[in-house]
Amino acid sequence: MLRTLSILGFVILIWSCVNQPKSETPKPIKQSKPNAFKIDYAKGFKVQVFEGFKLLTITEAWPNADKTFTYLLQTSDSINLPKTDYDYKIKTPIKSIVVTSTTHIPALEALGVLDNLVGFPNTDYISSDKARNLINQGQIKNVGQDQNLNTELLLLLQPDVVVSFAVKGQNKSVESIKKANIPVLYNADWVEAHPLGKAEWIKFFGLLFDKNDKAQQIFNTIKTEYEKAKTLGSKSQTKPTVISGALWKDQWYLPGGDSWQAQLIADANAEYLYADTESRGSLSLSFESVLNDSQNAEYWIAPAQYTSYQQMVDQQKHYEKFKAFKDKNIYTFAKTKGQTGGVLYYELAPQRPDWVLKDLIQIFHPQLLTNYEPKFFKPLDQ
Amino acid sequence: MKTLKLSLASILILLFVLMLNISLGSVSIPLKDIVQAIFTGESSTSTWTYIVLDYRLTKAMTAIIVGSGLGVSGLLMQTFFRNPLAGPYVLGLSSGAGLGVALLLMGSGLLGLSISNSLWFSKTAVILASSLGSLMVMIAVLLTSVKIKDSMALLIIGLMFASLTGAVVNLLSYFSASDELQQFVFWSLGSLGDLSWSEVSILGVFWFLGLTLCLFLIKPLDALLIGESYAKSLGVNIKVLQYTTIIATCLLTGSITAFAGPIAFIGLAIPHLMRLILKTNKHIIMLPAVCLSGAVVMLICDSISQLPGFDYTIPINAVTSLLGAPIVIWLILRSRQLNF
Repeated sequence: MLRTLSILGFVILIWSCVNQPKSETPKPIKQSKPNAFKIDYAKGFKVQVFEGFKLLTITEAWPNADKTFTYLLQTSDSINLPKTDYDYKIKTPIKSIVVTSTTHIPALEALGVLDNLVGFPNTDYISSDKARNLINQGQIKNVGQDQNLNTELLLLLQPDVVVSFAVKGQNKSVESIKKANIPVLYNADWVEAHPLGKAEWIKFFGLLFDKNDKAQQIFNTIKTEYEKAKTLGSKSQTKPTVISGALWKDQWYLPGGDSWQAQLIADANAEYLYADTESRGSLSLSFESVLNDSQNAEYWIAPAQYTSYQQMVDQQKHYEKFKAFKDKNIYTFAKTKGQTGGVLYYELAPQRPDWVLKDLIQIFHPQLLTNYEPKFFKPLDQ
Repeated sequence: MKTLKLSLASILILLFVLMLNISLGSVSIPLKDIVQAIFTGESSTSTWTYIVLDYRLTKAMTAIIVGSGLGVSGLLMQTFFRNPLAGPYVLGLSSGAGLGVALLLMGSGLLGLSISNSLWFSKTAVILASSLGSLMVMIAVLLTSVKIKDSMALLIIGLMFASLTGAVVNLLSYFSASDELQQFVFWSLGSLGDLSWSEVSILGVFWFLGLTLCLFLIKPLDALLIGESYAKSLGVNIKVLQYTTIIATCLLTGSITAFAGPIAFIGLAIPHLMRLILKTNKHIIMLPAVCLSGAVVMLICDSISQLPGFDYTIPINAVTSLLGAPIVIWLILRSRQLNF
């Protein structure tokens, strides 16, 4: 009896400790400064600026996401908001970071904070020379394979934040890192439908490293260059027709009409033959309908992984029927690779849409850009 | 006389379904142009001619080979194991093929090959990898069949191979990048439409060899239906029968899986379908019947998977199972028993 009572007493004691009412009352949020943080193209995040702190909200972490993620960014610990108002509290500037997509690397490099990158899953995919040096020096550690982050390695590194991406909110390895109290932030640059929207995500990293002005300035340069290139492209009288993608089995995979690739082709003053389709992602169409609709397209860009005409015809004789194939007007980004075989386009193109646009303008309207060395798109080998 | 009529009728049905299959697709082509393209090699536009002759016709031929080959394999396996659940894949062939393709598509990344050499993904490589996988399993099955007397043990061993290779495939998929995984998943959904004429003819050679072997199996398999000891008393050499059946099945199933991926359901269902309709077990009738009906069903399934009039298509495996399973269930319910 005594034992039962003592156990009961012990339980009550613990219970009362845990359930102690919080004495501090949260300070009321001061009004956000209107237009304090300008976002031009990106649709996936927004920023509210307050006295002493900022709220970064990821509104579309994956396509048609049904929930938002809010991060409280502050330079000191003085602010106390109710915990329900945010997912993570992050003290800026952060000192160490782990990112999970190569598309994050160029932003870090441009901001001059690549030294703060401590880990990356499957470092072989990284092409940036600066980052490769750091990998060779052992400063950037390999922390797993693609989406499967190695939790123990990450715990050992103890980064201030892990920047990940979530496909439909499912990412198992992220859950275990969260449990270890390492904030996992979602970067959704890949969801953006406008090329400049993708590039604008540099501001996301600017916020984390307290380099907003620099991020703003870098983005503005890219935007200006992009708009200049677009104006240049519009001067051409011709508007060539374009297809993209290639067959895998009997399905043709190509970017949808609302994708960023389609936007780039349109801005390069060319007619993407699937511009009318309503898809931000990729389409899979039957071979015969693609042949029927696009056989006479003048240009063909990004035919999957192919780098030569011979490879294409070895794999599938159907390709010979296309005008762009016969006229040798196919261009690929698969030939431009980093030291360890990562395709540069995947890493750098989302950050430098201005370069992609110029590449495309030179392909579609060669007379407009004569002295230009393409960054990504090269003609296919024979 | 009745048999002759029946055979004539079924050949006519096959021709009709073949014509239907060729006339339906994402692009609508007038029947006149289709007939012209087939018989004269020319139609209103060269694109249409190309679609009919080099895409739809090769696809239809593949469908005929796949449907008949898998149907016959299923029949062989069901009789051989005297088990209604047996199908072309009970020996573990598709698992072997799957392992081969998985190693190629997903394992090369782990070995550091994929991102530096994308040629590994070529169609020929996939076909070779699949054939090697099937061949490996076939050799293993043949070796074990030398050791053991009971054919049921072979069934279990086939299942074990499937689990074993399945586990390796799971491991590979866990570690592979999403696009590699996607390529593998698409392979496993099967496809009839990406073969050229030369590939179809290679597949045709294996199909012909496999079916020719089956001709020698008609009588011994009939005897085996009554029982192993009865077959022995009739002078059937069980061991020889075993090897021939395994080799014929491997030739048919292995080559089909290599060229078209693991096509589900047809091999299991067609023999049952035919037994229910014809109410016989005799292989002299069942073999041609399964051959023809397999081809017919596959052609119909392919026509549906092309979603005539739409730009999209759906994977052939989805059609075969979605459509086939309810039909077989309905037939079994109607005849109230499995005629086996």
